Amino acid sequence: MTIKNPSASTADASQSVALTINGVAVNAHAGVTVVEAAWEGGVPRVTGVGCMEGVCGSCRIMLKRGKQVSVGLACQTFVENGAEVIFLPPASAPRHHYELNDFKDGWDIHERFQDIFPEAARCRHCHGCDVSCPKGIKVEEGVAQAAAGRFRDAGETFFECVMCELCDGACPELIAPAHVGLFSRRVTAHFHLRPPNLIHRLEELRQDKDKPGMTREEKDE
Amino acid sequence: MSNGIPLTEALARYRSDAELGPLPEPVDVEALLNTYHPDHLRDSVVKLTVGANAGDSCQRELAALLQAEAFIDEADLAGTPVTDVDVLVIGGGGAGCAAALMAAEKGARVLLATKLRLGDSNTVMAEGGIQAAIEPDDSVQRHIQDTLRGGHHAGDPALVSAMAEDGPEVLRWLIQQGMQFEQTTGGDLHTRRAGGMSTPRLVHCRDYTGLEMMRVLREAVIQHRSIEVWEQSPVVELLSNETGQKCVGAVLTSLLDDRLRIVRTRSVILATGGLGRLHLNGFPTSNHLGATGDGLVLAYRIGASLCELDSFQYHPTGLLHPSHLAGKLVTEGVRAAGALLVNALGERFIDELQPRDVVCAAILRECSEGRGIRVDEQRVGVWLDTPRLERAQPGLLEKQFPNLMTRTRIAGVDPRAQPLLIHPTLHYQNGGVVIDVNGATTVPGLYAVGEVSGGIHGRNRLMGNALLDIISFGRRAGAAATSNRDRGPKKVTLEHVNRLRRELTIAGMPMTQRSPQVLPDYAAGGAWDR
Ligand SMILES: Cc1cc2nc3c(=O)[nH]c(=O)nc-3n(C[C@H](O)[C@H](O)[C@H](O)COP(=O)(O)OP(=O)(O)OC[C@H]3O[C@@H](n4cnc5c(N)ncnc54)[C@H](O)[C@@H]3O)c2cc1C
Ligand code: SF4
Ligand code: SF4
Ligand code: FES
Repeated sequence: MTIKNPSASTADASQSVALTINGVAVNAHAGVTVVEAAWEGGVPRVTGVGCMEGVCGSCRIMLKRGKQVSVGLACQTFVENGAEVIFLPPASAPRHHYELNDFKDGWDIHERFQDIFPEAARCRHCHGCDVSCPKGIKVEEGVAQAAAGRFRDAGETFFECVMCELCDGACPELIAPAHVGLFSRRVTAHFHLRPPNLIHRLEELRQDKDKPGMTREEKDE
Repeated sequence: MSNGIPLTEALARYRSDAELGPLPEPVDVEALLNTYHPDHLRDSVVKLTVGANAGDSCQRELAALLQAEAFIDEADLAGTPVTDVDVLVIGGGGAGCAAALMAAEKGARVLLATKLRLGDSNTVMAEGGIQAAIEPDDSVQRHIQDTLRGGHHAGDPALVSAMAEDGPEVLRWLIQQGMQFEQTTGGDLHTRRAGGMSTPRLVHCRDYTGLEMMRVLREAVIQHRSIEVWEQSPVVELLSNETGQKCVGAVLTSLLDDRLRIVRTRSVILATGGLGRLHLNGFPTSNHLGATGDGLVLAYRIGASLCELDSFQYHPTGLLHPSHLAGKLVTEGVRAAGALLVNALGERFIDELQPRDVVCAAILRECSEGRGIRVDEQRVGVWLDTPRLERAQPGLLEKQFPNLMTRTRIAGVDPRAQPLLIHPTLHYQNGGVVIDVNGATTVPGLYAVGEVSGGIHGRNRLMGNALLDIISFGRRAGAAATSNRDRGPKKVTLEHVNRLRRELTIAGMPMTQRSPQVLPDYAAGGAWDR
């Protein structure tokens, strides 16, 4: 997918670009995004849009140029002559379930991961996820890191993930890489982030609270 | 009066190593605000005629929505399917997710309904960070003082203390949910100092703090057994009991199939966020598409008191150019890291870390007095001097502001080589629904948390206090709403709608407009038929 605006520097707004969005023919100004083009062109029900700056992952589209098909984010995709754009429906409900509060400690986390995401060990290295990721994340590598129990590294790989779940849709093994990424990030914080300055302040506040007979004003003196 | 210096000329003149003169003498802040801040624009404020705040000042476009006709009447309720839950949370941003998680932790069956996609919110767009007094030389008391001072002493001290005291515990809770933060080599949470803070207090996850918070909370909500989520389901009206005095549910529509649904419940938590997409006073906005002030309208119609309806935050550094990013934010973190503001003449004109309203007014002054950089007839801005920052601290932009770098790269601009052209953008609703320390409004059964609520930030919010307030009060309201164990509604009515309609008729007000807005007009095509 091209996310670079071809006309950013030379933007000639008077030039018109013809494309279809959800089957509706639209004429748009050169240099606008697919979202703006859909609105200006009166395409109905384009509400899979939020931040318009590529961080919320809502505006998932499929883009056809001739024979070439790709997926991406509408707010990061600029109009092109002859393109066919379809806004994708919301992703279906996740198939993997866990609650962090159910985990006792970090020692059995690898085992837990295998129970929750058994498919992750079966990655076929087909690159489907990498190709579909609008953020250029090395999704496949992240999945491999998680499958090897390297959750901190995996989480770091997914750092720029905007939870669009396009990689989930592309995965033939139903691994749900987006959720593997979030799992990796979450367990890293949940079990390992123990900052001394925060812990110290929490302890001070706890002791303050336990001191009997003092009003808050007195404590704050 | 000239309208500034043309862009090409200003660019040719710009040098990142030019000698900058000293800052001009500090001006009279009151006079600056009174002359240039958008809140003080002529005709921008009117008095409300009906409702709990009759007689109070209110921004003009907002007043029209607060005093408008509802979409729903009794005929719509007949035959509409009803769902019963313990707690209904309206809005899927940070505040709504925190409230839902807390209510579920306390044992409630929760329904979270949100207008667009879960997580599509202002929260996800927050970059800079979240405040909490955790450094050794900082204290909860200093956090309170800074917040009250920043808000021009219009904030409610009880709410501010509650929020500041919650700060450290909020961070612990977020970490428990799985949120990561930037650390120092010693493992401490890294803090920055930003506008209005007397000491470093801003905790962050690079410049993706809101994204990290939102994706973690979104996942926690999706995974929770006791929380059901309805997306693309805006609330268009609340429901009241027979006397119209208590909130007992809501009417939702669906952006996918236009069908109405009724939700009946003991407690409703409004977490609908802000109103940037109303484009008050014609300003661009940094807000997400769903920020249309619906919560204010719903709360006002059912009788809740609001506050500071004439006070909005215009963020000093919205991008002016290129046009598809117009209004989008350059985080204050960039100024906190040392980036300066420079006018078309290559001069600094304000201490960049003054409170936002002051910096904003100063930029508007430069623009209106001919010292701005002009793109075209409508658009004039000033420089945010990022190349100078890059010279002083090479690599800093790439390392600490990947979000900014990615967005500008796509637009073909490199902030390391070229200064960013910026102009104030409508950013935050300072006031909102009046609440107590549990997030309870003046209407029984109705809670309000997050940006839709008011009273915490007075007339100006400090960076990082919004992300703290949404989690602090979200959790408080989630717990309080669950402890409401009354028997639940016998009957759901639109008595409050009838009441406001009567008041509007008596006052001789026009009833041509309907509200809430739900989507901005330019995006409403077919999805939301008014
Ligand atoms: C670009 C940007 C940067 C920011 N940076 C910072 C920062 O660095 N630090 C900081 O502290 N604060 C920051 N803020 C402010 C902060 O992000 C917000 O004030 C805060 O996140 C609001 O949270 P919320 O949950 O109240 O609202 P939101 O996160 O906006 O969530 C509201 C939700 O309610 C939904 N909704 C709206 N109307 C309806 C309806 N009728 N029915 C159902 N659902 C509805 C919306 O779709 C949305 O999902 C920033 C804001 C923006 C826009
Ligand atoms: S990793 Fe998956 S969910 Fe995350 S941004 Fe890439 S495609 Fe989207
Ligand atoms: S799409 Fe699935 S199977 Fe293919 S490489 Fe990615 S994770 Fe592996
Ligand atoms: S609208 Fe948020 S990613 Fe495109």
